[in-house]
Amino acid sequence: MIDVAGIIAENILYIAMVTLGGMLISWSVHFVPVGGAPAAMAQATGIGTGTVQLAAGAGLTGLVTAGAVMAVSDSPLLVVASGGVGAMIMISVTMIVGTWVYVYGVGVPPASAKVDYDPITKDRQDIYVSQGTEGHGLPTVSYVSGVIGGALGGLGGSVIYYSLMSTSTGLTQSNLVALASIFAVGIFFVNAVIPSYNIGGTIEGFHDPKFKKWPKAVLASFVATLMCAFVGIITIGGL
Amino acid sequence: MSAGGAGGEATGGIPQNKLIALGTLGGLAGAYGGHFLSVASPAFAFIGALGAICAIVWGGAAVRRVASYGLGTGVPSIGMMALGMGVVASMFGLAVGGIAGPIVAFITAAIIGLVIGVLANKVLGMGIPIMEQSMTEIAGAGALTIIGLSVAMTGTFMFDAVLETVVATGYIAVIFIAGGMAILHPFNANLGPDEKQDRTLMTGVEKGAITMVVAGIVATVADGASAIPSILIGVIIWYIAFSKYVKLVNRDAYKVLGTGLLPTEEELE
Repeated sequence: MIDVAGIIAENILYIAMVTLGGMLISWSVHFVPVGGAPAAMAQATGIGTGTVQLAAGAGLTGLVTAGAVMAVSDSPLLVVASGGVGAMIMISVTMIVGTWVYVYGVGVPPASAKVDYDPITKDRQDIYVSQGTEGHGLPTVSYVSGVIGGALGGLGGSVIYYSLMSTSTGLTQSNLVALASIFAVGIFFVNAVIPSYNIGGTIEGFHDPKFKKWPKAVLASFVATLMCAFVGIITIGGL
Repeated sequence: MSAGGAGGEATGGIPQNKLIALGTLGGLAGAYGGHFLSVASPAFAFIGALGAICAIVWGGAAVRRVASYGLGTGVPSIGMMALGMGVVASMFGLAVGGIAGPIVAFITAAIIGLVIGVLANKVLGMGIPIMEQSMTEIAGAGALTIIGLSVAMTGTFMFDAVLETVVATGYIAVIFIAGGMAILHPFNANLGPDEKQDRTLMTGVEKGAITMVVAGIVATVADGASAIPSILIGVIIWYIAFSKYVKLVNRDAYKVLGTGLLPTEEELE
């Protein structure tokens, strides 16, 4: 039988870090301008797909970049930063190509229906919103918000990956990488879905009134990730 | 946006308790049957995938019930969450449980699912009355799917073999997405006012058969499991399930008409 108390006592810091990573991911989803199916038809502001797909796309890119840097560097800050930057690049590319499609393909101006003036550029929004829609495209504020979301999500994912990789274990390096990756992915998905239920599937960014609900999702993610962190660290530490 | 159902509980068809029994008992029987019989002959590893199909049908039915209330976000989210919870729980269960691995994994998944279900209603305020039960079911189904497919790929659920053949090689990612798709896709593809339980569940069987074939292909590189029985039986189940599904679609459709091929350029002039 494995020494559960010993493993927990030895790796208590990493359990805390995994939990923190999960909370960061949960918070990050609130920044990402996700419009769901209506946005895919240019009838709502945001990127035209679901929260989970976006968070997973950006977050997993963050995990890959964090994993690549971890192979060549021991510095935790460098690993975590590269995870954040990887996710930022991924979400930025998604948003800029999406904007091209909305502007040149669909033929709609980026406009927010939640605010009359863009909080960053101070541009008028309401007169550009087509009738019967809830905005369309990605106005500057949503874009900036999305990049912040990508950064936080990537940070969260790479903190989880780094913590699991640093847990004291008897596993070989390649097995540890595989196990830590799949645990990080599992925890990532759980923490991407919880906030998407909190915001009801769509949000424009940090200027959206729904953004104020984030403490609820972060609290739920705290409890959920804490459980997953115990389970994950005991698994890796016990081998 | 209420991608999902009409805002009420899905009704009709087989009672959920029977499906819970099918998924739990079938899933565990598949995992243990595949594990023990594979010692006699690797050809029996396919039984694990049959267990996974039971778990997939159960998971699909649970998704159908909870997603009918309208989750606010798309149906796929709940399937991905099922496998997210399932993968954490199943790796833990197999690593610490030894011979009791699948049971430990199943119980762990159920606890994680229950807590997330309670959080969804109490903290996030989703207000779906069956959320706690459904999350528990979905997490359990996810864990049993992963274990069943792992058994089909390796012929055992002993963690060392699963770690070497399934996790370290990255095939766990295939299980994650294929299993997740199999659980989320049935309701996602069939939802709407004319949704019928038997048609949705038949899609689940069909998707489960595809994951069985995929598991069989992976088993070609494993020592403990034979690939041919999994692939062959998977294809047969897929064919039967798909034919039945087409029949059910024809039954539920108002009318099925062939539109012919697209007209050629000359015909358009």
